[in-house]
Amino acid sequence: MMHQHPRTASKVASSVPVLRIGAVGKQFGATKVLEKCSLDVDEGEIVTLLGPSGCGKTTLLRCIAGFLDADQGDVRIDGQDMGPIPVNRRPVGVVFQSYALFPHMTVARNVAYALKMQGIRGAEADRRVAGALATVSLQDFGDRYPSQLSGGQQQRVAIARVLVMEPRVLLLDEPFNALDAKLRSSMQVELRQLIKRLGLTAIFVTHDQEEALTMSDRIAIMRAGRIEQAAPPDEIFDYPATAYVADFIGTSNFWKASAAGGTVPLPDGQRRQTEHSGDVQIMARPHNLKLAEPEAGEWRGHVQFHRTIGALIEYHVETSDGVLLQVATMRQERAAPFDDGAAVSLHIIDPTYCAVYPAS
Amino acid sequence: MTDAAVPQQISGRGLGERLIDALLSGRGIWPAVPAIIVLMVVAVVPFVILLSLGFSNIVVSRGEIVSQTFSLAHLTNALTDPLYWTTFQRSLNLALTTTLLCLVFGYPVAYLFLVGGKWTKRAILILTIAPLLTSGIVRTYAWLVILGGRGVVNSTLMNLGLIDQPLRIMNTHWAVLIGMVQIHLPVMILPLIAVMSRHDSRLVEASANLGASRLATLRTIVLPLSVPGIGTGAALVFTLSYTTFVVPQLLGGGNYLNAATMIYEQVVFSLEWSKGSVSSLILMVTCLIVLVAIALVTNHFTRWTKGRDA
Ligand SMILES: Nc1ncnc2c1ncn2[C@@H]1O[C@H](COP(=O)(O)OP(=O)(O)OP(=O)(O)O)[C@@H](O)[C@H]1O
Ligand SMILES: [Mg+2]
Repeated sequence: MMHQHPRTASKVASSVPVLRIGAVGKQFGATKVLEKCSLDVDEGEIVTLLGPSGCGKTTLLRCIAGFLDADQGDVRIDGQDMGPIPVNRRPVGVVFQSYALFPHMTVARNVAYALKMQGIRGAEADRRVAGALATVSLQDFGDRYPSQLSGGQQQRVAIARVLVMEPRVLLLDEPFNALDAKLRSSMQVELRQLIKRLGLTAIFVTHDQEEALTMSDRIAIMRAGRIEQAAPPDEIFDYPATAYVADFIGTSNFWKASAAGGTVPLPDGQRRQTEHSGDVQIMARPHNLKLAEPEAGEWRGHVQFHRTIGALIEYHVETSDGVLLQVATMRQERAAPFDDGAAVSLHIIDPTYCAVYPAS
Repeated sequence: MTDAAVPQQISGRGLGERLIDALLSGRGIWPAVPAIIVLMVVAVVPFVILLSLGFSNIVVSRGEIVSQTFSLAHLTNALTDPLYWTTFQRSLNLALTTTLLCLVFGYPVAYLFLVGGKWTKRAILILTIAPLLTSGIVRTYAWLVILGGRGVVNSTLMNLGLIDQPLRIMNTHWAVLIGMVQIHLPVMILPLIAVMSRHDSRLVEASANLGASRLATLRTIVLPLSVPGIGTGAALVFTLSYTTFVVPQLLGGGNYLNAATMIYEQVVFSLEWSKGSVSSLILMVTCLIVLVAIALVTNHFTRWTKGRDA
């Protein structure tokens, strides 16, 4: 399911990236909120910042937009250092979580605002405003005030309002938070298509995994002010660079092992190659494990409970040495082959698809 | 809970509970009844008496009215007396100037509150509210110390050698104006702050992000959104300063005649109650006219709020 989203391969950065965030650091008083954050975003790419609450996503966006000055590092757009450029001269458009529409202006005047500030008026302004409103399918709403619109419509106004100034980089901070679940998922697809159609470069903040997987060409996982890994969704999911990323995205099973001589033994008797040595932890996704009769293998355990989720059966298994694991298998028949309490043996389907991390 | 239990519960509610429920429902005017009773006793009844005094000839003997006959003489006298015109004009000028100056000095403070950091906000709130904790009379007397012949201002200027005679500030129009502005400034600042902080601070950021300079943001976003605060502040400051008695009386040195001090003299010194009541009436009516004008202007600039919550 998670692999069905449309996706373009990440490009090899041959020329200057549209946006280059170079080792940006920021602290508020004694707390370091951002630390050596680096990220390149290429032309036409949608990158998602994903991370738990308080990890610094909004702060990073605010540094890019210029609402905050970074303490260390630099932000470059098309190679130009944004440091000395004030907020109102940066080629960046921000869609705020609260939309921040001007309540005393009609939709049309909200959208015309950026043009007015550039001194563009009259017929040309009207044409561009109409164009931006049409892009978000709000052509008939120009005369309304924001308070007379639904949440989804307000959000589209907020998008049209920044689109009209043709920014180089579009920043969206949790733009769907105020929308209900159904509208949210349709807006996700709609917004992604819109950004792609207009060829915009965008950074998108969320702490919702599925939203990140739907929306982005690349996901940057943030943890306590750092970017842990930035890669296409599949790569993040299949080859998480750190245990933290593996734990954060999708469901993952961890157990301890000891590596030596370039390989690490797996509990079912197989081996996996690794560059680590000494104490390590091994991660396997639930669908990379399978269950068999207890006699079939040396890695034993028993089913604690299981549940059926559509076509999947999810088993929660406790191994004989007390590790709790999740195993997901496709459902073949009507009943699950193993009942709660049943003794089983565990097997790893593809050892290369397990990840090995240094023990934390 | 079964279906049968529901109606039983409703009918089972006591009279007291239903009364409280009716009171809190907001239907009718019941919650306002205590306030209305108080207002009737302390405001409406005296007002009617005042009105009747203004439109009649009375004979007072030993502090009691012994005869009262209808007459428009006091009103026509007042409207044809140049002293009334100059006094009310002076009051109006003083109040309008005070309102304008309070706005001019208060708005930047409120703006600073909007854009300032945590400590700026705190300092502004403390400095704005603290004066309200002391009586207006005390604050007015403080100006005597500052502006008097040997007051802080004069002694400083003399010590600096800028003047050799003390300036006569006390008991002038200027002393009254300075006092009025200082006394009423918080009443302007507080509604401005209240209205400004009601709006999302992201609006200012959004404006900057869309290419507006700080000045453009102030002009196109902050100012229009603060109009309701300007209206409220102006109405409050105007009403208070148009009808004020303490400041002109103390800082004007007893010879600064505005509407309130004139009424005071008519009623307390000359015991001309009918004259005093006509003056009060004129004061009230003119005040209302200005308030309506302020409300109309405010409404004109906040038409956008009309579609709200619709
Ligand atoms: N102006 C500020 N002063 C002090 N600390 C701040 C300030 N702004 C943010 N922080 C702190 O910086 C950290 C990161 O905040 P930030 O808003 O960037 O988080 P976030 O990743 O966007 O979280 P969320 O998902 O909840 O929006 C938080 O711990 C927050 O308390
Ligand atoms: Mg945030």
